[in-house]
Amino acid sequence: MEHRIEVDAAELSRFAPHDHPLWWGILGAVAIEAAVVANLLTSYFYLAAQAEAWPPDGVDPPALLWPTLVLFVLPLSSLTMWWAGKGSDAGRRRQLALGVTASVGLASLALVFRSIQIAEFDIRWDEHAYGSILWAVTGFHYTHVVSAIVGTAVVAVLAWRGYFTPERQLGVVVDTLYWYFVAGVFLPIYLVLYWAPRLL
Amino acid sequence: MRVCRLAAVASAFALAGCDGAGGVLAPASPDARLVASLGWWMFASAIFVLIVTLGLVLVGANLHRRGEPRRISFRASVLLVVAGGVAAPLLAIVAVAISGVVIGDEVEGPGGADGPWIEVRGELWWWEFRYLDEDGEVVAVTANELHLPVGRRARLRLVSDNVIHSFWAPNLQGKTDLIPGKVNLLYAEPETPGTWRGQCAEFCGLQHGLMGFVVVAEPPGDFARWLAAQAEPHRVTEPEGLAVFDRIGCAECHTVRGTSADGEDGPDLTHLASRQTLAAATIPNSRGNLGGWITSTHTIKPGAKMPSRIPEPEDLHALLDFLESLE
Amino acid sequence: MTDATAPDGTRGRGAGGARGHGAEPEGLPDYVRGGRDGLGEAELAELERTWQSPPGFLAWFTHVNHTNIGRRFIITSLVFFALAGLLALAMRLQLAQPLNDVLGPEAYNQVMTVHGTAMMFLFAIPAMEGAAIYLAPLMVGARDMAFPRLNAFGYYVYLIGGTVFFLSLPFGLAPDAGWFNYVPLSSKEFSAGYGIDVWTTMITFIEVSALTAAVELIVTILKLRAPGMSLDRMPIFVWAVLVMSFMILFAMPSVIVASALLMMDRLVDTAFFDAALGGSPLLWQHLFWFFGHPEVYIILVPALGIVTSIVVTFTRRSVFGYAALVLAIVGIGMVSFGLWVHHMYTTGLPLMGRSFFMAASAMIAIPSGVQVYCWIATMWGARVRFATPMLFVLGFFAIFIAGGLTGVMVASVPFDRQVHDSYFVVAHFHYVLVGGSVFPLLAGLYYWFPKATGRMMSERAGRWSCGLVFVGFNLAFFPMHQLGLEGMPRRVYTYLPETGWTLLNQLATAGSAILALGFAITLANAALSLRRGAPAGDDPWDGPTLEWATTSPPLNCNFARQAVVQSGNPVWDRRRAEVSAHVGGLRTDRRETIVTTVLDARPHAVQVLPGPTPWPFVSALVASAAFLGLIFTPWAYVLGFFAAFVTFVLWFWPRRPWRED
Ligand code: HEA
Ligand code: HEA
Ligand code: HEC
Ligand code: CUA
Ligand SMILES: [Cu+2]
Repeated sequence: MEHRIEVDAAELSRFAPHDHPLWWGILGAVAIEAAVVANLLTSYFYLAAQAEAWPPDGVDPPALLWPTLVLFVLPLSSLTMWWAGKGSDAGRRRQLALGVTASVGLASLALVFRSIQIAEFDIRWDEHAYGSILWAVTGFHYTHVVSAIVGTAVVAVLAWRGYFTPERQLGVVVDTLYWYFVAGVFLPIYLVLYWAPRLL
Repeated sequence: MRVCRLAAVASAFALAGCDGAGGVLAPASPDARLVASLGWWMFASAIFVLIVTLGLVLVGANLHRRGEPRRISFRASVLLVVAGGVAAPLLAIVAVAISGVVIGDEVEGPGGADGPWIEVRGELWWWEFRYLDEDGEVVAVTANELHLPVGRRARLRLVSDNVIHSFWAPNLQGKTDLIPGKVNLLYAEPETPGTWRGQCAEFCGLQHGLMGFVVVAEPPGDFARWLAAQAEPHRVTEPEGLAVFDRIGCAECHTVRGTSADGEDGPDLTHLASRQTLAAATIPNSRGNLGGWITSTHTIKPGAKMPSRIPEPEDLHALLDFLESLE
Repeated sequence: MTDATAPDGTRGRGAGGARGHGAEPEGLPDYVRGGRDGLGEAELAELERTWQSPPGFLAWFTHVNHTNIGRRFIITSLVFFALAGLLALAMRLQLAQPLNDVLGPEAYNQVMTVHGTAMMFLFAIPAMEGAAIYLAPLMVGARDMAFPRLNAFGYYVYLIGGTVFFLSLPFGLAPDAGWFNYVPLSSKEFSAGYGIDVWTTMITFIEVSALTAAVELIVTILKLRAPGMSLDRMPIFVWAVLVMSFMILFAMPSVIVASALLMMDRLVDTAFFDAALGGSPLLWQHLFWFFGHPEVYIILVPALGIVTSIVVTFTRRSVFGYAALVLAIVGIGMVSFGLWVHHMYTTGLPLMGRSFFMAASAMIAIPSGVQVYCWIATMWGARVRFATPMLFVLGFFAIFIAGGLTGVMVASVPFDRQVHDSYFVVAHFHYVLVGGSVFPLLAGLYYWFPKATGRMMSERAGRWSCGLVFVGFNLAFFPMHQLGLEGMPRRVYTYLPETGWTLLNQLATAGSAILALGFAITLANAALSLRRGAPAGDDPWDGPTLEWATTSPPLNCNFARQAVVQSGNPVWDRRRAEVSAHVGGLRTDRRETIVTTVLDARPHAVQVLPGPTPWPFVSALVASAAFLGLIFTPWAYVLGFFAAFVTFVLWFWPRRPWRED
């Protein structure tokens, strides 16, 4: 048997930060979580369709102010994330560190708004299925934001310590991907939880 | 113990006069008949497809055990795949879908339902049947024994306030679930007089297995007489037994119309003695079994939601006299 | 390839071989002697050291190589299979007589629930995942999975979750509401105690493991294929694994949501399923079956891949209708998401709606039929070798097709309203599950055992096993069709003698004893052949796909040099052309595998893979503690979240020296 070398891997990139298998893996995680959100929102509509009144009589739909603020803060934090990524690509470590830190700060602000809003819900989770699904969806997204924050906080620590280089920045790239998802998935949640009961 | 129960039950069989096995394949209503013939047709076609396909597998794989292996031509292969893998299933789909819709409409539809309205309530682990008049008022309440007039299409309202059960009398009709928060409708139209078994078909916990019932189809005249009798309250002839019934707590759970017993947790016993079986068609209704049921409920039906009581012998006799007087 | 034709098969190393166990002798392990694939002896030895899983008991918890993890998945799932099978025998014993008291109702319901749940969640899916984890990287010519540590994490999650689930049985805390756990029966009001909580938490937990495996398999298959293996050259088995993984990805979230909602109903009094408070019991059924239906095809699809592999090898022909088969598998995957309501025909949904699902359900017969007939066309007139794997495949044909046909019968609404929740359905699903997944798995076991261990399994025992399983199976399950038609509902712990069901039940019980004997023979055969089997050589069956291009068992690094592929049957090609093409330039001092493009597999990067580490194990332990805690208190959620997070940070924290190239 004759052995031939037909592909030489010596020259290929060992980093490929924007096209690394891990990037695909995170995309898979995002797909799973998107499916979870889709299931939760479908359940919301299913319960709504079964109910006589939705929200039940005497219960107000949640106030619009705080979630609307969150709707603006989260994309803003994505913007800083994107800016940080630009810095990372160009090797500007300071820009990277500042950007991710700003994102963590902004998302924490969003958490504060979310918390205030939860405190103002007109119904508890154990009074009616409406309250249950409202709390569950909110809690699920809350968890998302918390995990994005703590994950990015770790990235920020590494960034300040100068770990990332334009090649060695997979962590930044995948964290950003997840971040976009967490920010983006709030839109359907927002529409369903805060507008659907008003419009339906 | 087991031997005793077996013996008791065996005698019950003769006693209850059930038409025994057969189920789906022994239809006693137009609906069940349609479905049974649908089943036979599908079964025959399935056997045919199975034999042809397996035959092809075996023949094809053994063809050239000895000679030179030869591949059939591309065209022949495509033909095989299209015929067996596309055309035949397509035909089956069309047949299944059309027959399903047509027969489904027929058996699930009201079809000029003119029989009685009956509310079927699934309980933990027995059945309550409430006969209603046209305004939905309760005429009579009974348990575990459903009487239907022959030739009429009875309307069953299926409800549950606990877990999900499923009402299945295979000789008459496919099953339909009893779901909390929902009312389902089912029609039952026996063609001939007869007695059949039915059973809960949705897993509902500990005694799902012994949640049976008896269906009795009788000519409309007999049915009307039966219903009128069931609607009557009990006229007390055994006051001592009734006193025991009250004293040892049976009345907390059971209603005997015409007495002060008005418990709601257990079956209505007003006309207990008219029923063929006890404890959701588990044992035949006899004096011995009644005594056994009261004193050792949980050997007969472990976990049943009725506490057993062991009254003094003379009290037990009085109690049994009373129960047997519930004609 | 030099060795593929070696007459004595000495290349193959026995299972107890020196690799990875005990101290390495001074010299080189004999299987690297002379090098492989044009790679020199010394380099191969270094490469093997780099990819070695360290020996020793404690080091066992650090292994990450896909061959180790895949093997563990398979063995663990077979243990769960044997246990769940024994539970089935207990049920059969109880049902052998009317009013029997081998098992009381409490015990029966627990045994029934654990049997069904374990067979589906702890045996069938993980066994398929295990086969996929073991084989897919080999078949696509990769050196490992894309995320080896995640792979290990998934395994521990499965092991711990499954063990806890089974242990609930001897402690009398087992769930008892059936494998689909309908509410309100499973609500706090009707099922107090911890049984249902064990179900909800452990099932959710085990799903996590299925999800990690799915993501991992997808990325491995899409990104780590050998150069030249464009999508249309991928083995059908790999296609099947890809489809299975996507199905897991989109189906599992719905059961996770369902069980999370139920967990909350039980733990913090939410009202999702409580009709009195605006909830809906049917919501559970929709969510469960939206998962549950694809689930059964998740089990079936990789089995179809196994069957295809075996048909190809044992006819020595490439499969007829490659594109049709791929389309059929993808089609099954997609259509299966639109059928869930066929499990709910009796819930009183409108007939028109159900008719849609009736037609859609029957539709699955087309892709299934296409596959069956493609195999027939492939086998037609070939000189088929009827070795044990092929015999099991023949058994698969008979039983799976019979089960599929009863599936089409129950797809009919009016017919199903009669047989739903009766033993007819029990018969249907055992025909498709045992025929459609256990038979192919056993076929696959006989087929790939030599690859994984370097030794052949006994043919004689294999034939006996196959015959007994086939006869026993039909004896056990065919009578159940009739039982169902005679009115016997499923999930009954006993029945009355006057029902007339005794004889058929006794037949079923007798059959299941024969069936068990048949399975026991195969399990024993596997255990004994580990040491006693005849040496297998690299390629005992003359298979076409890349797993046959390496040693048996595979090298630590899978391939001394990764292959470059020109067709769908690379191993046959090389044999014919006497030339093998390889990737060069990968380092031997760290774990590297080549990354290629998704569609046409052009090389475009190299992935550096991590080595052994205990962190996945630690993370899995912490996550298990969190999930177990959820049985008792909602705070376990918060605590567990942060505790698991800490372990993940430790897992991923970049260790110095930071990698520069
Ligand atoms: C591997 C598992 C598996 C597979 C492959 C299938 C395959 C199919 N199943 Fe099955 N099914 C289950 C596992 C499986 N099922 C389980 C576990 C349950 C019960 C769950 C529970 O309640 O606990 C169930 C229940 C179930 C029900 C609900 C029954 C009820 O509860 O009342 C229905 C109803 O439509 C159904 C239909 C089908 C159909 C149409 C197919 C089709 O895919 C079959 C297609 C295959 C063929 C048709 C054979 C090959 C084709 C040919 C040879 C071509 C010629 C064919 C024709 C001319 C028709 N299945
Ligand atoms: C892949 C899935 C799968 C498999 C393989 C099986 C295999 C078997 N099943 Fe199972 N079954 C289900 C999935 C499966 N089942 C599901 C999902 C349900 C529904 C549950 C529910 O309703 O909730 C069910 C329900 C079910 C019932 C109905 C219970 C009821 O409704 O009350 C019955 C009854 O006979 C049964 C029997 C059997 C038997 C006899 C086998 C046999 O094939 C098993 C044979 C195997 C063995 C006997 C093990 C062999 C090994 C040894 C003997 C070696 C032992 C060695 C050591 C321990 C070292 N099963
Ligand atoms: C705590 C409630 C409760 C008490 C007290 C109780 N029962 Fe019952 N009874 C039930 C329930 C529930 C059933 C249905 C059991 C089943 O079939 O699963 C039942 C069933 C019966 C039946 C069978 C009815 C039928 O149609 O099948 C009889 C007879 C009966 N009880 C008599 C009595 C007598 C006599 C007493 C007093 C000694 C008594 N019960 C006390 C709850 C109770
Ligand atoms: Cu009621 Cu089963
Ligand atoms: Cu299904």
